[in-house]
Amino acid sequence: MRRIPWVALGTLLVAFGAWASGFLQPFSDLLPGCAFKRLTGFACATCGLTRCVMALGRWDWGAAFHWHPVAAGVAVLLPAMAVGDLRRAWRGDPYPSLPDSRVARVSVWAILLAAWVLQWVRGI
Amino acid sequence: MRLPFEASFRALLRPSAAFASPPPTLPRAVLNMALVWVPLALVNTAGTVFRSLQGWASLRHGAIPPSVLDWFGVDPADLQAFLLSLPVPPPFGRIWPWLLLLVPLGVLGTWLHHAVWDHAGLWLVGGLKEKRGFRISLLAEAEALRITAVGTLLGLLAFLPVLGPVLALPLLLLDGYLWLFRGFALAARHGCEPWRGLAATVVHVVLLSGFALGLFALMLFMVRMAV
Repeated sequence: MRRIPWVALGTLLVAFGAWASGFLQPFSDLLPGCAFKRLTGFACATCGLTRCVMALGRWDWGAAFHWHPVAAGVAVLLPAMAVGDLRRAWRGDPYPSLPDSRVARVSVWAILLAAWVLQWVRGI
Repeated sequence: MRLPFEASFRALLRPSAAFASPPPTLPRAVLNMALVWVPLALVNTAGTVFRSLQGWASLRHGAIPPSVLDWFGVDPADLQAFLLSLPVPPPFGRIWPWLLLLVPLGVLGTWLHHAVWDHAGLWLVGGLKEKRGFRISLLAEAEALRITAVGTLLGLLAFLPVLGPVLALPLLLLDGYLWLFRGFALAARHGCEPWRGLAATVVHVVLLSGFALGLFALMLFMVRMAV
């Protein structure tokens, strides 16, 4: 299992999905939109994600960062993570464990909540 | 005499005791899951595809309620023209051989997906303190999904002509429970409290479904303010 670069393969899959989303552009108006926003009038944490992915499919990074900065930031980091995973798989090293740190956990929660607030405030 | 799925139903009724025995090896757990779930998923998917093709054919003939058009928020004439321009649906006989490939891949993909997100969710709620790695999450998910495959079996009831619509809500509630059930397996195999395992599956669904629980909490808050 450790010889298989799952993160790199996942990155390839995400890249393919973003590229394929370009074919959905003509039908994007038919998408129903966010149910959360429709009901409450406020953006959810993932509002703008579809438009971000479609912008990535067009290789329009400016629009991608506009629609969802966190998702676009993750997209920037993915190639580096994939290269690191290929190196790990080549060496046969085990996957690193998630850090047993309260600070790290709280930081991720904070990023998730900050993403929500950001999309909410900007009315995305 | 043991009835089929008797052990699974017993585990679902007593989730805290379902994972008390020593775990199988990971390959054995995955094989057991696939042997139970893949045949059921094949039947369920074949039924869903067959119905979808029928629905597609009726859509092409303009059978769409006006309320649905309103819900999409687009010009009804445009949507109607778009639907009429849809190609003729392929016959079921041309699709089902692909299901033999896609459904097992879908089962394995679902297992991996749940393992990744639940593992991340378990970390976020502080349930990985025993330093047991992702492999344990893969094992727990495989064990749990073998049991929750009965949901796919019971889901076949939705295809019944009259009973199907009546059972829609109970089956939805069952799906909710089966989603949470994976938390018991995660908690047992990772050696953490059951609430952390359950919370991991909730975090998973919250991150996945656009903060649906946030909406629920917000509604509760609004109701509380209104009272």
